[in-house]
Amino acid sequence: MTQPKKKRILLVEDEENLRLLYQEELDKDGYDVTAAGDADEALAALRGGGFDLIITDIRMPGKDGIELITQIMGQRRDIPIIINSAYQSYKDDFMTWAADAYVVKSSSLDELKSRVKELLGS
Amino acid sequence: MIETQGLYLGDVERDAPKELVLLSIIAQSYFQPFSLQDNLLVILTALTSGSGVGFNRAMLFLAEGGRLKGEMWLGPATQEEARSIWEILSTPGIGYVEIVEHNRALLSRAGGTLSERIKGLSYPLGEKSLSIPSRAVERREIVHVRDARSEPAVESRFLEVIDVEAFLCIPLVVHDEPLGEIIVDNAFTRAPITEKDIKLASMCGLIAGNYIYTGAIHKKMLEMEKFAAMGEMASYITHQLRNPLVTIGGFADQLLRYEGGEDRRKSRRNLEIIRAETRRLEDIVYKLGHLLKLEQKPPAAFDPGPVLKDALADPAFRAKSKGRRIKIRLTEPMPRVMGYPSQVGEAVRNLLDNALDATPEGATIYVQATNADPRWFIVKIKDTGRGIADKDRERLFLPFFTTKENGVGLGLHFVKRIMESCGGGIEVRSRPGKGTEFRLSFIKEERGTDQ
Repeated sequence: MTQPKKKRILLVEDEENLRLLYQEELDKDGYDVTAAGDADEALAALRGGGFDLIITDIRMPGKDGIELITQIMGQRRDIPIIINSAYQSYKDDFMTWAADAYVVKSSSLDELKSRVKELLGS
Repeated sequence: MIETQGLYLGDVERDAPKELVLLSIIAQSYFQPFSLQDNLLVILTALTSGSGVGFNRAMLFLAEGGRLKGEMWLGPATQEEARSIWEILSTPGIGYVEIVEHNRALLSRAGGTLSERIKGLSYPLGEKSLSIPSRAVERREIVHVRDARSEPAVESRFLEVIDVEAFLCIPLVVHDEPLGEIIVDNAFTRAPITEKDIKLASMCGLIAGNYIYTGAIHKKMLEMEKFAAMGEMASYITHQLRNPLVTIGGFADQLLRYEGGEDRRKSRRNLEIIRAETRRLEDIVYKLGHLLKLEQKPPAAFDPGPVLKDALADPAFRAKSKGRRIKIRLTEPMPRVMGYPSQVGEAVRNLLDNALDATPEGATIYVQATNADPRWFIVKIKDTGRGIADKDRERLFLPFFTTKENGVGLGLHFVKRIMESCGGGIEVRSRPGKGTEFRLSFIKEERGTDQ
């Protein structure tokens, strides 16, 4: 019996500890997670292709999450995107509407996980 | 060919129609950095100056907290003063600015000025009172009193103060909101108040109302800006607190799930992360608490050597600097400098920490102290990191400005305030992609004290 192919998630989070936390938690839920520390790393990883979902922070040094989404939209509109930000207020920025879900960071990862599940249908 | 001129073309001719003269006087106030008080003084000046409307005296009441209160009164206090003022003002070449200056001096002269006499006068608003002076603003109408002493509507204390038969009350009203009242008379010349005088005075009333109204709006706007800044700050702090909280909560959840069955190394790692994030929270709270609290005592002389060495030997700095080269050159002996050693230590640690954040592994940080200047002792902390973008450099020292995701944006603001409280300063030089140099300058003891 062959294992079903794991869904691939690109996680963009500049904060090391949070990146580790999200990576471990999503990994435990059975996803194949690639972590990027900033937007440029994320874009480089995307060029390799094969991702089923992108989770991105907004406030990051260098290019922020909104710039990242804008660039992704220009190239690949087929990959769903979840915004995972500590700020509620970016919901007012219409570029964030392009994302498929907006999660405000919380110490409970339930919401993030259920959005991931919804979007990946597994 | 083009020809250009300043926005304001100066006084109109003396024989121009009064309306034009008045307009020109008032227009000038828009080109001066005058306060509301000054602008109102301009109106009163326009009402009383010979080249304006030419009343003898002008009185201003302002609506404040539901009452109409005496604010200023312009004009000579006595017949003699009136004569000497008119002599001055009829001197050829005396212009508007001189008249305003003269009036300002008249208002600020201590003792016996007219303004003091009306300071105590105050009438409730909103009672639709028919008594004078409040009637004009209550009913939004110009009131011309011709025989004050036999007119029962004139309030008795007001009559005592103004002490004149004929006067004119002009309401200051904008969008039906009562803002104040101007009262003019010809106490010294006893000239009758004409229809034309009334028209010109009402024009002044409209403009005075507008000054007060825009002044109030401006004040409100500044307050709103302040609130908006506070809101922004609150949202920023919330975010700063949220990231460590999410990390702590998330890793604590994992620990609970392990229930002793899992790898001990992993449990330990989680605990270490939790501890580090807790420290970060503490740091944020500490910095916020210190935002407005700096040393009140005068700075004292101290030896900067141990302070610098302590900061460089700080275990947190040593641990974080792993993989980077730190080149230190401190000229010995160091002079004693003015300041607060513990805060200076904090400032230096802060800059070192920033330098590490900016410096990639394998790169170098330079710490250098120089004693070449007779007055200043200079400490430079230089990194070879990414540098600071031009657009960020101006805002670098502002509170809550940061380019780091987990930065509070208070570090450099502190450093600057600490350095300034020591009588010294901080400068920054940076080239994007090349690195950043911070220069702290301390006053040396021998020059810092008056010996």
